[in-house]
Amino acid sequence: MKAIEIKHLTKKYGKQVAVDNISLSVDKGEFFGFLGPNGAGKTTTIKCITGIATFDEGNITLFDTDVVKDYREARQRIGLSPQEFNIDFFGVTHKVLDYVAGYYGLHKEKRKERVEELLEQFELQDHRNKPFNTLSGGLKRRVTLARAMVHDPDILILDEPTAGVDVELRHDLWKHLRRLNECGKTIFLTSHYLEEVEMLCNRVAIINHGKIVADKPKEDYLKNGRKLEDMYLEITGGKVNYN
Amino acid sequence: MSINWIGLYTLTKREVNRTFRVAIQTLVTPWITALLYIFIFGEVVGSRIDLIAGVPYIQFVLPGILMMNVIMGSFIASSNALYFKRFLHDIEEILVAPLSYMEMIIGFVAAAVIRSLVIGLGIYVIALFFGGASIINFWLFVFYVVSVSAIFALLGLIVGLWAKGFEQLNVWNTFAITPLAFLGGVFYSIEMLPENAQIVALWNPFFYFIDGVRYSMIGIQEASALVGFVIILGLIVLLGALVWYLFKIGWRLRE
Repeated sequence: MKAIEIKHLTKKYGKQVAVDNISLSVDKGEFFGFLGPNGAGKTTTIKCITGIATFDEGNITLFDTDVVKDYREARQRIGLSPQEFNIDFFGVTHKVLDYVAGYYGLHKEKRKERVEELLEQFELQDHRNKPFNTLSGGLKRRVTLARAMVHDPDILILDEPTAGVDVELRHDLWKHLRRLNECGKTIFLTSHYLEEVEMLCNRVAIINHGKIVADKPKEDYLKNGRKLEDMYLEITGGKVNYN
Repeated sequence: MSINWIGLYTLTKREVNRTFRVAIQTLVTPWITALLYIFIFGEVVGSRIDLIAGVPYIQFVLPGILMMNVIMGSFIASSNALYFKRFLHDIEEILVAPLSYMEMIIGFVAAAVIRSLVIGLGIYVIALFFGGASIINFWLFVFYVVSVSAIFALLGLIVGLWAKGFEQLNVWNTFAITPLAFLGGVFYSIEMLPENAQIVALWNPFFYFIDGVRYSMIGIQEASALVGFVIILGLIVLLGALVWYLFKIGWRLRE
């Protein structure tokens, strides 16, 4: 069964085509990397999957559930960690997690248990009563990641989850994501750290100017001892200035 | 999928908590405003006015003052909640959650109605100290406060979606709600108006809101109760349907 299936998705902002008739699918349990330069359409695609954005053409299903017709069922299965922080500035950490768990219908006792688990996992216990706007960038990222996982979703969509995160947490996060993936969770990851994608993902798609320009198993990019970064630059037509 | 009761309760609770987090702005301010109105118009000016519609002036103006603050409290609660969630992007937290559009709307409206009830209760308690408070039909009083604040919570959601800046957010209170409430008979009986102005007043829905709550508090009614009910229930259905449609298409809510 496909965890995510996107068919002929087109999203326009006025006359600007942000995503241009893309189709891709992610298998259940897959660790999927979605790469592209800034403004290529990665975040827009994620917004269409999660319901933050509407789209003009095409359809998206999550485990065969249409994200428009059956939006509630579809949203129950996704956890989103967005690129930009979108948490109540004045909300304190444990309450933010508790409220979001509530939106997903978790009972009080289960919520409490889950919030404590995540506070420990992301080393946020000392910051549990601090308002979001007083946290450092790295801590904010941790809260955002914990929030995405609060309802134990089947699909985790992580839009640049390690941006602004220190090396220790990044390594912890990689370990944790691997563990989640081994437990059967599907992970959809975008990142500008290509070594991270190379290390974690089974399959990688590249989007450029709103179109999918590559979609294949990771190994196919790494033939003849090449690095994902070299292939990525070649495919997107990017140039590296070594001076 | 059945109703997400926990999600709905959580959304309502979160918005109510937000009200109490800034209680000076959301609750104390309307109480102080009402206290000043009651003291100046009810006590200072009212003591020099004969009976109006057969009751002391303070008793006559109190329902209007209460309803005016209920209306403003409800409108500000929902419009600000939605606008600031859009502005700060934390509306996305709700958009990605398994809440139906109707649950989202009910959550915002319920929180605004609760805020209005707390404001109304506070004003009633203040009025007790001035001897102007009474309720002759409690359930009718609750009906008017809840239904009218629901109307303005729905209107607030429309403005919260429509507003592109703080000025647009606040302009409705200054140019529509306050004048219509004042002209809807907060401080005077319709009988005190010239005949032509009385006809105009009958086209002002605020007149029915204020008149209804005044009837539930002191038993004086100048408008048709039936017309009032039809206007109130009609507006709830009409605005509810419009807000649901706007949420469904994601107008200024989703990209």
